[in-house]
Amino acid sequence: MAWTFVQKLFGAKGSKGEAKNRLQVVLVYDRLGLSADQMDALRKDIMETISRHISIDPEGVKIDFQHEHSLPEVVINAPVRRRAAS
Amino acid sequence: MGGRAIVVTSGKGGVGKTTATANLGLGLAREDRKVVMIDGDIGLRNLDLIMGLENRIVYHLLDVVRGRCQVRQALIKDKRFPNLSLLPASQVDQKEDISPEQMRDLTAQLKEDFDFVLIDCPAGIEQGFRNAIAGANEAILITTPEVSPVRDADRVIGLLQQSIGDPRLIINRMNPEMVKKEQMLNQSDVLEILAVPLLGIVPEDEEVVIAGNSGAPVVLNERSRSGQAYRRIVQRILGEDVPIPELNGNVGFIQRLGKLFFGR
Repeated sequence: MAWTFVQKLFGAKGSKGEAKNRLQVVLVYDRLGLSADQMDALRKDIMETISRHISIDPEGVKIDFQHEHSLPEVVINAPVRRRAAS
Repeated sequence: MGGRAIVVTSGKGGVGKTTATANLGLGLAREDRKVVMIDGDIGLRNLDLIMGLENRIVYHLLDVVRGRCQVRQALIKDKRFPNLSLLPASQVDQKEDISPEQMRDLTAQLKEDFDFVLIDCPAGIEQGFRNAIAGANEAILITTPEVSPVRDADRVIGLLQQSIGDPRLIINRMNPEMVKKEQMLNQSDVLEILAVPLLGIVPEDEEVVIAGNSGAPVVLNERSRSGQAYRRIVQRILGEDVPIPELNGNVGFIQRLGKLFFGR
């Protein structure tokens, strides 16, 4: 919001970049056609798979789809826990 | 199996499908092709009105399908171009009252007598859409350079790829001034997102509204910018290599002078 104001203040370009970015994000999801249930299932599977090898914080796992490069990509963020003192 | 059956579709309503169908139909008829336009929007017919043929409807699409009349009896001949006909939709029935198989048969029958069968698809992706695309071999997709029509167009592309293949895209209501100020997605933005071949760009034009008022589509108006765009699109449909000018709002010196002195 503030940035938009600053952009306007300095006579910067219009809002079409925003339109394009928002479309690209929403279309990644649209094209996959994943329902909320399917997303949850994916999240669960990924959590289980990673947890088998390393200890992660299940609350912090995030799955995002991005379209920053030529192909859409899935980005998985999983905070790693410190090994418990043995 | 002579003619080409082309469905004009968009996903989102209100982006200019019916207007485009009318202009392409008239444009192809101007080029001496035998053309029939089918109004696929059962229950919400409008192609008759845009074409100025609303007072001449006797039978409609559903009458033909139900065997109440022959196809020939339901076709309305355009007085401007006797080689152009309209098969109007029913205004009282529903999309579900006709099946994709029936549309496929009807389109096949019309293709024997006409060079072009243009099908005006209703908005949405439900039964009306499935009916409209059932008999088509080609698709033209209309969008405007705004977020929701582009999103819906992308959905329609996905559906068309499962049957007809990639549609050819018309970007409608492009505003060169807004494009120049980067307030509107430009041609390359839309093409980068949708990744289908471009058939043409139609500039935003008040003449379209005026044309609708009197039932005389802009393609007939020699002075209209959008009419000129439609005439070029018609050439491309006929296989001619007509360049697509990028509407980026960079007006020429003379136009700028005109703007300065006459405000237009």
